[in-house]
Amino acid sequence: MNLTIFLQSFLNGLSIGSIYAIFALGYTLVFSILGIINFAHGAIFTLGAYFTYVLMGNAFGFNGLLANLALPIRLPFAFALIFGSAIAGLVGVFIERVAFRPLRRRKADSLLTVVSSLGVAVVIVNLIQYLVGAEIYTFPPDTYGNLPPAINFGSEANPIPIRSVQVVIFVVSGVILSLLTYLINATKYGKAMRAVAEDPTTASLLGIDPDRFIVLTFFVSGFLGGLAGTLVGSSVSIAGPYFGIGFGLKGLAVIVLGGLGSIPGAVVGGLTIGLVEAFVPGDYSAYKDAVAFGILFIMLMVRPQGLLGRSLVQKV
Amino acid sequence: MSDFISTYGFLFVSMILGAMLGLSLYLPLMAGQLSLASPGFYALGGYIAAILSTKVFPVTEAFPISFLLLEMLIAGIACGLLGVVVGVPALRLRGIYLAIVTIAFVEILRVLALNLDITGGAVGIFGIPQPFQTPIEYLWVVLPLLLVSMIFIYRLEKIRVGRALIAIREDELAADSMGINPTYYKVLAFAIGAILAGVVGAISAHFLNTWNARQGTFDTSIIYLTFVLIGGSRTFLGPVLGGMVFTALPEVLRAVADTPGLPVWLAQFLRDGRLIIFGLLIVIGTIFFPQGLVTPQLLKRRARS
Repeated sequence: MNLTIFLQSFLNGLSIGSIYAIFALGYTLVFSILGIINFAHGAIFTLGAYFTYVLMGNAFGFNGLLANLALPIRLPFAFALIFGSAIAGLVGVFIERVAFRPLRRRKADSLLTVVSSLGVAVVIVNLIQYLVGAEIYTFPPDTYGNLPPAINFGSEANPIPIRSVQVVIFVVSGVILSLLTYLINATKYGKAMRAVAEDPTTASLLGIDPDRFIVLTFFVSGFLGGLAGTLVGSSVSIAGPYFGIGFGLKGLAVIVLGGLGSIPGAVVGGLTIGLVEAFVPGDYSAYKDAVAFGILFIMLMVRPQGLLGRSLVQKV
Repeated sequence: MSDFISTYGFLFVSMILGAMLGLSLYLPLMAGQLSLASPGFYALGGYIAAILSTKVFPVTEAFPISFLLLEMLIAGIACGLLGVVVGVPALRLRGIYLAIVTIAFVEILRVLALNLDITGGAVGIFGIPQPFQTPIEYLWVVLPLLLVSMIFIYRLEKIRVGRALIAIREDELAADSMGINPTYYKVLAFAIGAILAGVVGAISAHFLNTWNARQGTFDTSIIYLTFVLIGGSRTFLGPVLGGMVFTALPEVLRAVADTPGLPVWLAQFLRDGRLIIFGLLIVIGTIFFPQGLVTPQLLKRRARS
């Protein structure tokens, strides 16, 4: 394997890995605060991509209820990305209201909440299909403005081209990860969120309303999911309403590898799975999708708490 | 009457197959284990039958029923063994971890089925021979099978094994300290569920005539889960009824959509929005009927009055 190919695979792995990381952080935030995996996260991922697509003024296809519809506004990518993800965040808040809160109030078994979030995922995916059809949507080539397809970071004689899509992904994920680290570690909100995650009862005695921070967590989680969806959708394509479900399952592999509920774990897990997938030899690329699940399977057998998770203590 | 049977024969058999798939998910749930592995075993059983009947048993005239029974046996044994192999390590995990690892299992099997030559890749296997002339005749196989599985599970709930499973569901640590080996019983329930799913898969492959990687996916896991959770997860009658009702639901919705006088948008929604309704029912069901529609209390009240 020569250096250019190696570098290209490495960068591919790093860029898809950072999207995995952003996506998985959305799972992790909700898990760390409620101890529940939100299976609707993959559906939010899909929604985010569609929202950005529409906000950029792109039209829908010929199928579904909203055939050929286009918004009269045309936002540039950066704004569409932020607004689209924010709407995805609001959907996250809505899901919390209808599918999580009623069960939490009743102190229901956490598996029931898993099931109701699965139900929400089924509704969203099929609603998308009903509204805009099952076809593939591709963002127009000038989505990121007038960037060249690749930027040469090497010399004339020894080129190291980096696709500009990847540069966009690196910049966006770098910004998001730093903002999130700041939000969680250095602000009052983050402190309160961590307090609720640690012990909701004590937090509420200290004057923190757990529900408010659970809502905030769902917003941030939905935002991250929508953002990840937009990054995949705009750099490859939106492969129909189901495209988030497969990604959502891979996200499970990421968080289990990193450790359920661990924020650095989600980042490490995302980058690891992205890199491993990128280095699957071309002859076996059809099996690429199984790699993440293989890792997940082995990880759960060997070390269920994940790379960076706290060890599981069985409480009586 | 014969018109009715020929129209709905396919549906009746599908409903019974649905009921048995519900039961295959219910078995691990008896021990409180949420496993989503059934579609994987269902797909595997189907591939075993499809490969055997198209490649190993070359039959030119009508496909004999004894071969079908033999395939069911082989599929059951293979899925049972795989169930033990997967179950022993997987069932050390509990709750959400078990659900995730079974999802991974189903996905790995799906990717394998998509890429191996023997499973026909993305196209799948076509022209699986028919042991019966019409769909309704499959009832000769599926109806006894459903009755046997129902009686088996009914008996299982009454004997030591069943009580052990319920003890594990209520409190695994307490059950363990009372001398019940949780892993043994959980793997047992998981493997029986796997056998049932595999046998149903073997029948379905013949029944549906083609078999491909779309038969065992994450979506189907959710649909089977709906059978059990909305039907009722505390008695075996729940998944049986749930499986039948939910398999028939698309047909019912289509019939409702055809009633005259409905607004066009509603009729269209009932016809095409079946899975949206499915999802809504899952959410509503888990919130308002956490034990499902058929609960042990309900059955007791019936028996008394």
